[in-house]
Amino acid sequence: MSQSSALPAEQYNYDIIRRFTIMAMVWAVLGMSVGVYIASELAWPFLNFDIPQLTFGRLRPVHTTLVIFGFGGSALFATSYYIVQRTSQARLAFPWLAEFTFWGWTGGVALGVMTYMMGITQGREYAEFEWPLDIAITLVWVSYFAVYIETLRRRTQPHIYVANWFYLAFILAVALLHIFNNLAVPVSLTKSYSLFSGVQDAMTQWWYGHNAVGFFLTAAFLGMMYYFVPKQAGRPVYSYRLSIIHFWALIFLYMWAGGHHLHWTSLPDWVSTLAATFSVILLMPSWGGMINGIMTLSGAWDKLRSDPVMLFLITSLSFYGMSTFEGPLMSLKSVNALSHYTDWTIGHVHSGALGWVALVSFGSFYHLIPRLWDSKMYSQTLIYVHFWLATIGIVLYITSMWVAGIGQGLMLRSFDDYGNLAYTFIETVEFMHTPYVWRALGGAFFVTGVLVMVYNMAMTIARRQPAAETQLSAKPAQA
Amino acid sequence: MRHEQIETNSGLMLLLILVVISIGGLVEIVPLFYINETVEDVKGEVRPYTPLELRGRDIYVREGCYLCHSQQIRPFRDEWLRYGHYSLAAESQYDHPFQWGSKRTGPDLARVGGKYSNQWQVQHLNAPRSVVPQSIMPNYPWLLQTDLDYSDIVGRMRALRWTGVPYSVTQAEYDRNVKTFGKATADLLDINQAQDNLLKQARDRDFDGNPSRITEMDALVAYLQVLGTMVDFTKYDEGYFARFR
Amino acid sequence: MFDWLMWFTRMDNSKPLALILFFGAFCGVLIYVFADQRRSQRLESYKNIPLDDDEPVQPDAAPAERHPQSRKVMDNE
Repeated sequence: MSQSSALPAEQYNYDIIRRFTIMAMVWAVLGMSVGVYIASELAWPFLNFDIPQLTFGRLRPVHTTLVIFGFGGSALFATSYYIVQRTSQARLAFPWLAEFTFWGWTGGVALGVMTYMMGITQGREYAEFEWPLDIAITLVWVSYFAVYIETLRRRTQPHIYVANWFYLAFILAVALLHIFNNLAVPVSLTKSYSLFSGVQDAMTQWWYGHNAVGFFLTAAFLGMMYYFVPKQAGRPVYSYRLSIIHFWALIFLYMWAGGHHLHWTSLPDWVSTLAATFSVILLMPSWGGMINGIMTLSGAWDKLRSDPVMLFLITSLSFYGMSTFEGPLMSLKSVNALSHYTDWTIGHVHSGALGWVALVSFGSFYHLIPRLWDSKMYSQTLIYVHFWLATIGIVLYITSMWVAGIGQGLMLRSFDDYGNLAYTFIETVEFMHTPYVWRALGGAFFVTGVLVMVYNMAMTIARRQPAAETQLSAKPAQA
Repeated sequence: MRHEQIETNSGLMLLLILVVISIGGLVEIVPLFYINETVEDVKGEVRPYTPLELRGRDIYVREGCYLCHSQQIRPFRDEWLRYGHYSLAAESQYDHPFQWGSKRTGPDLARVGGKYSNQWQVQHLNAPRSVVPQSIMPNYPWLLQTDLDYSDIVGRMRALRWTGVPYSVTQAEYDRNVKTFGKATADLLDINQAQDNLLKQARDRDFDGNPSRITEMDALVAYLQVLGTMVDFTKYDEGYFARFR
Repeated sequence: MFDWLMWFTRMDNSKPLALILFFGAFCGVLIYVFADQRRSQRLESYKNIPLDDDEPVQPDAAPAERHPQSRKVMDNE
């Protein structure tokens, strides 16, 4: 294994990682604030203000795009560029192309959300970008792939570490999904019609939609977990052999599960049965991964008491375990009959998105920030504050959505003594008002936590010694 | 083969990942395009949208209605009582993209056509709480105030024709439509008459209650009023549709 | 000539076949990964990769003196 004499900050390209990290936090604040706003619109509809650009229907894709592709995507770019360099012990390949991925991705997300507010959309959930942006994103993604694979090829460490497998699968799968789901016939620059229709279109969309969750929001963040949990704990991952099983089983099984979004619809039964079966089996690799992550701490549990970053990482894994149990449960046809179309789904998504994706990203960033800016975190206490604000927020969010979702599901299917429907639809809407208020409050807690983190991060960067900027120059002895 | 060979060879790893992730999608999606049992044969009852309905559908997509309203009724008793017969694959066979939705913040709209008067639809879209006080739907006042842009209706229909929707350009295509849908419908699907058809439908039916203008409201209400009305379920016995499930 | 391919197109045949193939592959991987003691040890040794990159070896005698700042952030602190 080759080791260079340089410091990590000059041996590796940290500049691109710093920028993606900052953008991830910018998108987090924006996207989650929009989330709180649209949650409030559902509780208090006057907030739509009769302004087209602010109505729920146009802002909802803005929210999902900002948090999934803006925040999640930038966090993945940042961590993948960090991990691939550190575990390959090679500098990032094609720096100009990496630069392009930054501007391309950031510009794509920004343009995308602006076009949504103008009403330019493909009308496909989580793939609302119109075709010119889809093509631009494809170019960015191909560049990302080139940078990533070439850095791997230039590695001085013979083995490709498991975190990189997950990132590689994520890059490939997202490319595949993005291209097939966005096949469309353009009418003009701002309008196109999808190539497929009806059943085939629905299946393609949810094959995409579910695997956007499976590869974008799960596999890639597992890569993050496989690097940052061992690093922060200072001990290797619990079982390397388990990670081999985990990896291959997860990427194989996920691709089958999309049909469970279409239970009881015009989709042929055999597809949704197959999808439900694979969804249930998927519980095993999911929990294998969770156990692998949590057990890394086995024998060093005291770190949970002394290290707030560890708290973030382990809690995120617990939420991962919870939502990957809830998911297979909801994919059962009998449960799905009640849960589908209700807020239970929304709660489930957020226990994954806030509990797993966001917490593991924050934990990784708290590990990353001191190293990227060669400084100590400004405040450990504020990390604890962030942790508790986030956790309270998530708990408020998912419990209120359970109440709203299961409550509505039960009301819609209840009958009176004469066999008539017991409730009209609008009565269920009325019932959901209270949980909607609690949900918005939970979201507000979570955003406040993110703002605390942004403050902590800004102070860390501002407070570092100026000498650290040049990294290599002979430094005064004040340290 | 040792797993180390995969771990130390990025090309091999890449290839194996591609193979492993492709299987699921191939098995589940590809057959849907070939198995003719996927879509029911409803004898030409489901027709593509007229030019005005199509523009209404575009507005439906633009405003993100699908984020709160599904268009997919499931085969349950409560849904049957609330919305009507469960949705058929045939009913969305010309929907590019499909609008089945994933969340019912508001009720399902798959069979909303004909359920309410045009006047009710207009007032409800304009100010939902004026007809349903507990509603949490946004107001859409701009629909009544904005003139419908139908300048590119031909381009839109041509794009859809390209994907396989039976809009006609040539005489042969027109004749085929006459055979499938009858002359009256075939005329509506003729791209050469698209603009005239759009104007005629908007003037004759006057969905928005304002005969002097053709607004986005005209188009959207025209679309809503046709949803789920094309199949005459009295013509089929229940066992027929169950075969396609 | 290719009539035998039709055998695979019948769901009653292809379903159990796929089950056997996938489950067999899964068991194969399990056995490969966990059965052999020596192989297990070898595989487990790779899990230290991320921990190996912590402190690059400095060729000169007193790296800590030359780069006092580099000691400020330790991994696992």
